[in-house]
Amino acid sequence: MIESLGTVGSVFTLASEVAGHAASSAGGGPAWFAAIPLLPLIASILCGLTIAFRSKTKLPAVITVGALALSFVVTVAGFLAWNNAGHQTQITHIYEWIGVSWGSDAGQSLSAKFGFYMDGLSWLWMLFVTGLATLIALYASEYMASDVGKGYGRFFAGFSLFVFSMACLVMGDNLFLLYLGWEGVGLCSYLLIGYFFQKPSAVAAAKKAFIVNRIGDLGLAVGIFLIFVTFGTVEFGPLFEMVRQGVDASGRPLAGQWQEWVIPCLLMIGAFGKSAQFPLYVWLPDAMEGPTPVSALIHAATMVTAGVYLIARTMPLFLLDDTHFALTIVAWTGTITALLAATIGMAQFDIKRIMAYSTVSQLGYMFAGLGVMTSVGACFHVFTHAFFKALLFLACGAVMHGFAGQLDLRKLSGVQKMPGWRIVGLTMLVGCLNLAGFPLITSGYFSKDMILAQAFTTPGDIIAGSQWIGWILLLTAGLTAYYTFRVYFRVFVGPRDFEPGDEVHSEDDSHHGGHGGHGEHGEEGHGLKAHATHEFHPHPPGWAINSVLLILALASFLAIPTYFMMPDQHGWVGSMVHSSTAFVESPGAHEAHGSQTHGLGTFLGFDPHKAMYYASGIVGFIGIGIAFFLHLAGRTSAATSRADALLPMLGPIPRWAQNKWYVDEFYDAVVRTPLWVLASLFHWFDKLVIDGLVDLFGKLPQWFARAIRPSQSGVLQGYAVGMAGGLAVVLIIVLIVMGANG
Amino acid sequence: MTTLTSLFPLLAMALPILGALLIASRPAERAHRTAMGVSIGVLIIVFAMMSRFDWDHGATYQFANSFAVLPEMGIHLSYGVDAVAMWLVILTAILQPLCVLGSKTAITENQRAFYAWLTVLQAPMLGVFFARDLVFFYTCFEFTLVPMYVLIALFGSTNRKKAATKFFLYTFTGSIIALAGLIYVAFIATKNGAVAWNFDIDTLAAAARGMTLSEQSWVLFALMCGFAVKVPLFPVHTWLPLAHTEAPTAGSVVLAGVLLKLGTYAIYRFVLPFVPMAVVEYAGVIATICIVGILYGGLICWVQRDVKKLVAYSSVAHLGFCMLGMFALNMMGGVGSVLYMINHGLSTGALFLCIGMIYERYHTRSMQEMEGLAKVMPVWAFFMVFFTMASVGLPGLNGFVSEFMCLLGAFQSGAIGIGKGGTLGTLGPWYAAVAGAGMIVAAVYLLYMVGKVVFGPLREPGGHKDHGRDAHATDPSALPRDLTRREIGILIPLALGCIILGVIPTPFIKTLEPSVAAAISHAQTAAKDMLTAETPAPLQPAGLVVPTSPERSERNGAGPPLTSFGARMNGLKIAEAHP
Repeated sequence: MIESLGTVGSVFTLASEVAGHAASSAGGGPAWFAAIPLLPLIASILCGLTIAFRSKTKLPAVITVGALALSFVVTVAGFLAWNNAGHQTQITHIYEWIGVSWGSDAGQSLSAKFGFYMDGLSWLWMLFVTGLATLIALYASEYMASDVGKGYGRFFAGFSLFVFSMACLVMGDNLFLLYLGWEGVGLCSYLLIGYFFQKPSAVAAAKKAFIVNRIGDLGLAVGIFLIFVTFGTVEFGPLFEMVRQGVDASGRPLAGQWQEWVIPCLLMIGAFGKSAQFPLYVWLPDAMEGPTPVSALIHAATMVTAGVYLIARTMPLFLLDDTHFALTIVAWTGTITALLAATIGMAQFDIKRIMAYSTVSQLGYMFAGLGVMTSVGACFHVFTHAFFKALLFLACGAVMHGFAGQLDLRKLSGVQKMPGWRIVGLTMLVGCLNLAGFPLITSGYFSKDMILAQAFTTPGDIIAGSQWIGWILLLTAGLTAYYTFRVYFRVFVGPRDFEPGDEVHSEDDSHHGGHGGHGEHGEEGHGLKAHATHEFHPHPPGWAINSVLLILALASFLAIPTYFMMPDQHGWVGSMVHSSTAFVESPGAHEAHGSQTHGLGTFLGFDPHKAMYYASGIVGFIGIGIAFFLHLAGRTSAATSRADALLPMLGPIPRWAQNKWYVDEFYDAVVRTPLWVLASLFHWFDKLVIDGLVDLFGKLPQWFARAIRPSQSGVLQGYAVGMAGGLAVVLIIVLIVMGANG
Repeated sequence: MTTLTSLFPLLAMALPILGALLIASRPAERAHRTAMGVSIGVLIIVFAMMSRFDWDHGATYQFANSFAVLPEMGIHLSYGVDAVAMWLVILTAILQPLCVLGSKTAITENQRAFYAWLTVLQAPMLGVFFARDLVFFYTCFEFTLVPMYVLIALFGSTNRKKAATKFFLYTFTGSIIALAGLIYVAFIATKNGAVAWNFDIDTLAAAARGMTLSEQSWVLFALMCGFAVKVPLFPVHTWLPLAHTEAPTAGSVVLAGVLLKLGTYAIYRFVLPFVPMAVVEYAGVIATICIVGILYGGLICWVQRDVKKLVAYSSVAHLGFCMLGMFALNMMGGVGSVLYMINHGLSTGALFLCIGMIYERYHTRSMQEMEGLAKVMPVWAFFMVFFTMASVGLPGLNGFVSEFMCLLGAFQSGAIGIGKGGTLGTLGPWYAAVAGAGMIVAAVYLLYMVGKVVFGPLREPGGHKDHGRDAHATDPSALPRDLTRREIGILIPLALGCIILGVIPTPFIKTLEPSVAAAISHAQTAAKDMLTAETPAPLQPAGLVVPTSPERSERNGAGPPLTSFGARMNGLKIAEAHP
């Protein structure tokens, strides 16, 4: 298989060489790399055409899955070719997108090409982006089936366009193309969150996502400007070459200059927006309004990791600053986000939202990992997280799909025991174990450990308070295990009991029968539930959904051996990161193998890299154990559990956590409302003062004319007099000025 | 030499005038068809010009010719187009047939007058871009007001009289002041050259550049009084929302697409080369006004309830970006600014067309009354969202390229101390960063509009019942709910334009470069003279900030302090290092 793909790759190369389109620059990659983004783009256009021709079939799904699968094959072929060529960074230029020049010197022109910068980081991202996108598109072909002929084409057009944008973001060889992808994924996210556009909450969520992202985008845009002005280029190749030498475009050393910390801080703001980090995380939970495949692909596995990608890609810029100012902020923001989101996740009842908060929390881990300088750990966590979080979302989506939109964990129980739900339940268990970091048998355990161990290893004088970061992340690992298994123990195991949601899949979906009694939903009446259960039969997922879940579960296990490959480079992902700009010499990376550990942090006196295997495992077990005790043991119905007895003892804290610590309300009160009031004030100011003055000025000559010639009060004439007067005044002024100037 | 090609501009201007006479003299039923024919005729002429234009020498005035009209008074009918003018001419020629086509069902009464005035309006608009003589330019510049006045006053909605009068008088008053400034320049030219009056633009520019800074500042003030109203910049923008709201759709499209560009073009053509010293001196002030307009205009958009007014106010914000780029006085900003003129014409023109299509169906513009129209008008919704995204500056579409270039230009301007990418100028990173907040505001108000009108639960205004479906069987002019083929045909060229200018802008940029270089060269020279004394030498770790030279502080009593951002930041860093 692998050999044949390699052959495909060489055939592509041969073909492009024959056609004379081969590499256009030194160290260049072949032009057929362009197929990776272009295939999804073509698919998107074709899906658009199916809408125009009012297709009532599953054709859009066929096109999308086919194009994405092909794109994945090309990616694998390209990766193998790159791998065989000795991990050399390959740059391909297709055409010049934006080019401006105002002189012949270096730095006196801007050139942003449509081109690709392919190193280990790009390949790593593209492999899981195209692979997951193919699987999730397959899942969606079944999941969205009730919309065939309605929004089906629109959904897949947006889906493919997203993959195109993501490919531009990841593969782009310059910051402008990265920005194109960056905003492009934002657009697709907007369109797909707002897929159910008649639902006001979906429209609001889509808008919120776009606008909050734009705040981050401004940071990124200004960062790009500053990089361009400093280095005279936006292309990664020359840029990183200059950074490596520590000079700017005029050969001046960068050390000690303010750009050194301002540039990374600006880029960081962009990353925080896209990756939903504190304080810009509020859009992601709301984004769950979109269809579940969208949540899985865009808002869990790929798009939200773009921020991690950005920081990893520009890591050399972050490392310029000896004080590691920006990296410290990244580390702490990640840590705070991880903890905050985990506490909110513990108190939510909507299983999709719990997963959303866990995404925010896990992204926090990744940022903390970048901050404590283990880009390998961060990227490995991105990689493992992509599989198990997509899996979790898709499993939750299957439940939602089968139970008419029910997502409340108080209204679902024992799903795994119901006929046809075994695969969903088991794969969900795999996902939960990964997220909880269950020792040894899950990939999530290894990737999380890498970050935790590095946090303890990195000395506090490099990243301020790194020990604290380690402890907080360790605590968060326990919280994560708790809230993850809270979902599993409530929804998938325990007594069989459920209440369907109030979402009718489609009006003509008659075999589901009537959904009686949804008007009075919510209360715990057994009669109602019994009634609902009689009327409603959850429909278990079909082959597409089940097979995708199985593949993802398998993939999450297959990620484990990659950790043990190439031990000198910390696994396969490590080897990819090593041959990319994301590489950073983690403090203690080499000392750990030798004897010198001077100056490095420890975990209670032990070597963190070894101790963490036990520590995080124990913390995970404790979290799962508490979840078992509170939410499974002795539970007789879906609605109640032992945790209910515990809640009053905590006072208002659970309620605050459930209300997301009122961060949304805070923003509303501090940002949105004042701005709206200001806007209204401006509106009235414009109407009354500015325009009022104009009208007054217009009336003046009229009154003047009336005063001097009461018989005539023609409006136009009045104005004309005014204008003539004005002209006279101007001429007088001009004459005075001329006089003054001799 | 009077070659045949040099008659193209005259032909392009004569055709609309003759066409208007023809429309006026023929029966009303033929008015639309004739207007369509005329506008397509002009388009063909312009395409012929485009194909014969030597794009490698964009700075040269081509198709140039000059006829003496009143030689004793120095008035010539001289014209010629450079690359910038050429693109704006193309924009004008493309928008015209779309406007005519878009009015087919909207205008049912008094068609002769409507199409005659709409057609004749094209002549002076083209004339402004063709003109190489001040008198010719100014005549055309002012003559655009008359047809527009009539279009608004006769074919507008409820408050049309007030809107038309205000539009006319406001812009006219401003232009008079600009005229005073221009006449003063002509006067100086006669004094210096010791020749008879001459209104050739290049001659005037050379003379104007010889003026002292204080004279130049007065001329700048006078010119900006006139042209800023037209753009419009804050705070002289209040005629625009009113005129846009009341104007018929075609009027709004021409207004946003071309008439506003007359203001920006005039500033580009007259202010930058005429008074470079004053421009350098006051670029910061003007840029500040632009930024205020971007944020203020954008925020006002957000609280509008009239969808057309929202788009109208968005022009105030958008053209703020355009002018900001222009006053960056560098290639990036200049080219970005010119591209912005074209892009704004495409995307905002298209938005007005989309809104017009809704108005034709529901006879309302109120966002309170309509919601979720995507349910019943999916095709329209697609175009609406598409043009909104172009307007919001989404990369891959046209708006992004020009907006990003304007901001980057402003960022570079004066950032020479930061690195090689910096250019001489008086703006700087802070201007770009604050104006960049306009990108967020744009997302806020445009998505607010889309979220209200396109998405959400369906709510159709009552108007549709009376004029639409029920009447459909009897009234042949009633439109179906979603767009007709004609309407799709109007929007597709604009959408293609947005995509082409967004995906392959480089060929366009390359054609503009020489022309823009010529326009900003004098300002760059002035900036060099005025600013190099205080530009910090390459920043050293010690942070050497060259103090303001004495003659400069003496000369520049009132102006803003022109320390570069780099110097300021460096000072900051020192302060931090040695508390």
